[in-house]
Amino acid sequence: MSGYWNDILVGSKSLVTGLMITAREFFKPVVTEQYPYDVPEMTPLFRGHVELIANEETGAPNCIVCMACQRACPSDCITLAGEKKEGEKKKSLTQYQLDFTKCSLCGSCVEACNFNALQFSKEYNLCSFNKDDFIIDLVKRLEDQN
Amino acid sequence: MSVIESVKAAIEKVVPFSETVIPADPAGEGEEQQPDQVVHSAGAKEVDFAKTGCSLDVLCTAEQILDVAHALDGEQLFIESIAGVDWPKEDQIEVVYTFSHFQDSDVRVMVRLRVPRSEPKVPTISKVFSGADWHERETYDFYGVEFTDHPNLIRILLPEDADFYPLRKDYMP
Amino acid sequence: MTLPVHLRHDETFVLNLGPQHPATHGVLRVKLTMDGEYIVKAEPVLGYIHRMHEKLAEAGTYPQFMPNTARMDYLHALAFNHGYALAVEKAAGIEVPERAEYIRVITVELNRIASHLLWWAAFLLDLGGFTPLLYAFDDREQIIDLLERVTGSRLTYCYMRFGGVYNDIDDEFITGTRDFITRLRSRMPRMYHDLVTHNIILIKRIKDIGFISEEQCRRYGATGPVARGSGINYDVRKNEPYSVYQEFDFDVPVYSECDSMARYMVRMDEIEQSLRIIEQALDKLPDGPVMAKKVPKILKPGLGYHYSAVETARGSLGHMLVCNGDKNPYKLKLRSPTFSNLSLYGEVAEGMLLADALAFMGSLDLVIPEIDR
Ligand code: SF4
Ligand code: SF4
Repeated sequence: MSGYWNDILVGSKSLVTGLMITAREFFKPVVTEQYPYDVPEMTPLFRGHVELIANEETGAPNCIVCMACQRACPSDCITLAGEKKEGEKKKSLTQYQLDFTKCSLCGSCVEACNFNALQFSKEYNLCSFNKDDFIIDLVKRLEDQN
Repeated sequence: MSVIESVKAAIEKVVPFSETVIPADPAGEGEEQQPDQVVHSAGAKEVDFAKTGCSLDVLCTAEQILDVAHALDGEQLFIESIAGVDWPKEDQIEVVYTFSHFQDSDVRVMVRLRVPRSEPKVPTISKVFSGADWHERETYDFYGVEFTDHPNLIRILLPEDADFYPLRKDYMP
Repeated sequence: MTLPVHLRHDETFVLNLGPQHPATHGVLRVKLTMDGEYIVKAEPVLGYIHRMHEKLAEAGTYPQFMPNTARMDYLHALAFNHGYALAVEKAAGIEVPERAEYIRVITVELNRIASHLLWWAAFLLDLGGFTPLLYAFDDREQIIDLLERVTGSRLTYCYMRFGGVYNDIDDEFITGTRDFITRLRSRMPRMYHDLVTHNIILIKRIKDIGFISEEQCRRYGATGPVARGSGINYDVRKNEPYSVYQEFDFDVPVYSECDSMARYMVRMDEIEQSLRIIEQALDKLPDGPVMAKKVPKILKPGLGYHYSAVETARGSLGHMLVCNGDKNPYKLKLRSPTFSNLSLYGEVAEGMLLADALAFMGSLDLVIPEIDR
């Protein structure tokens, strides 16, 4: 019988302690971020979808169409094509398509590229009702940015 | 006697120890030979823990597995996993059991056995190690190895009506 | 003679719990045969989120499987990264620089705390307490922000590489981690223990519920907090030290009550031990590269079987790798801890009340994608 009363006593004490802790938390400042008004800053290493890096002088993509990124990708997200233009030493990129629906943001492509042509973007506001919106033409994206 | 030694003694009663009988590499030597000529004779040997992660490598026959399981159960080992490996060139499916020990470090026994691909039948050890039940079902699920006397040998991860064994090398989705 | 319904004790019915039930933490279905409120037979049905990672591993090269590892146990993804990296490094004989191993340990332990915090939150949610979830998420968010800094992702990390890690940690991460250790240490007694552990409702719900004996653990191969809550002193970090764990001084919490409360306490103590490991690792952090030199782009480990085990938040994770000199793994077997831990559910839940069986299920800390792989 003493266990019974003891339970009630200790039990109510534990409940009161708990309630006091929650009550105190009521007056602490808010810890959440009010998202659309209060935009988080992405860390330098944040991995958004990949994007091409433009040459600083010409603004054309650095890519030389070596296909290393395409081969490294585990999920076959990357489709690219290039052609050799007259009078140029290197191949130039004509098409670089990223299928972001399958991308796992692993970074294999960025690591595979030895020509400083790929990087992660800081894009995180990605959502759509349409799957096709995530098949991204990176060459066009780069042109739009310039 | 340390755990590893008594485990060795227990296994010795079922599968003799020898340095030579197990092919050093699983596929290498067998590759040039005809599938039916490859003989993986039973035997156990000690292996380097740092390199392979196992301390004993036991190759037994399907009939011996129950005795091996009883021996390991007597030594208080626990079952870690059961996996299948398909060797289509040799027309065999290998079943790999790993057992480990709770108290003693660096005791891991890898028990391997090979059965023909056309009729993969292995006695169940789920009566000895209850945990083997699910692992065996998984191996049946992926490789079609039939564990005889298993109480409930049905698909576990794939849908019930699947009619393929996905981890066999010749299965292409 | 037929008895009236209320006297017929042999009458049972089948109840499907899940696959979409909030208490099963994902898509697990348990087929329960019930006698009133009592469970006669419980049969977990798996496979609702099965993705055949083992076949995917065979289809790609060794590095191409790395992102998949994080998709199995999304709560302790870095341990899966670590386990796979260690297995391949062992097979291919790659040496990892010391600094990289330290960074791996720090991040894995941070991730372990995050995993335990989420388990704690979800477990209490199962039992009907909503408030603790928000407090735990507050702390977990700090860890995720820290890890995001170094790994670039928040949940499904792909941070480790064969021979090292993706990138080095910076000073801000180190100070941030130290601050976090102080913060969690100061919050632990009040926000976690006073508020929840000593709470009478929790004690009544989980004490002496879900008894798993030592022998059962052994027969089923249960590891991790489940085994340690049954008095088994087994932790892969201690039993077969991998990485640089032998350098640190930490305890393995063991409780021998065998009930859900014991498993709860093991995890709570483990959080503190992980903090200790991180603290020591930060103190000892050596300088140097974080990536081994001369790691071949295409790995072709020679013939052989390699087993490597690591301790995740849920138990011993094994990778059995069969290599045959090709650039793809010949066979990769994943021994996931919860698969074994859950397999004893049927035996233990027999004869339990349904409400207790749910509390017991929560105490096993299930992550379904890892069971189904
Ligand atoms: S991040 Fe990974 S999955 Fe995405 S495109 Fe690059 S290689 Fe492919
Ligand atoms: S690896 Fe770099 S240079 Fe080569 S194709 Fe890809 S982006 Fe272009």
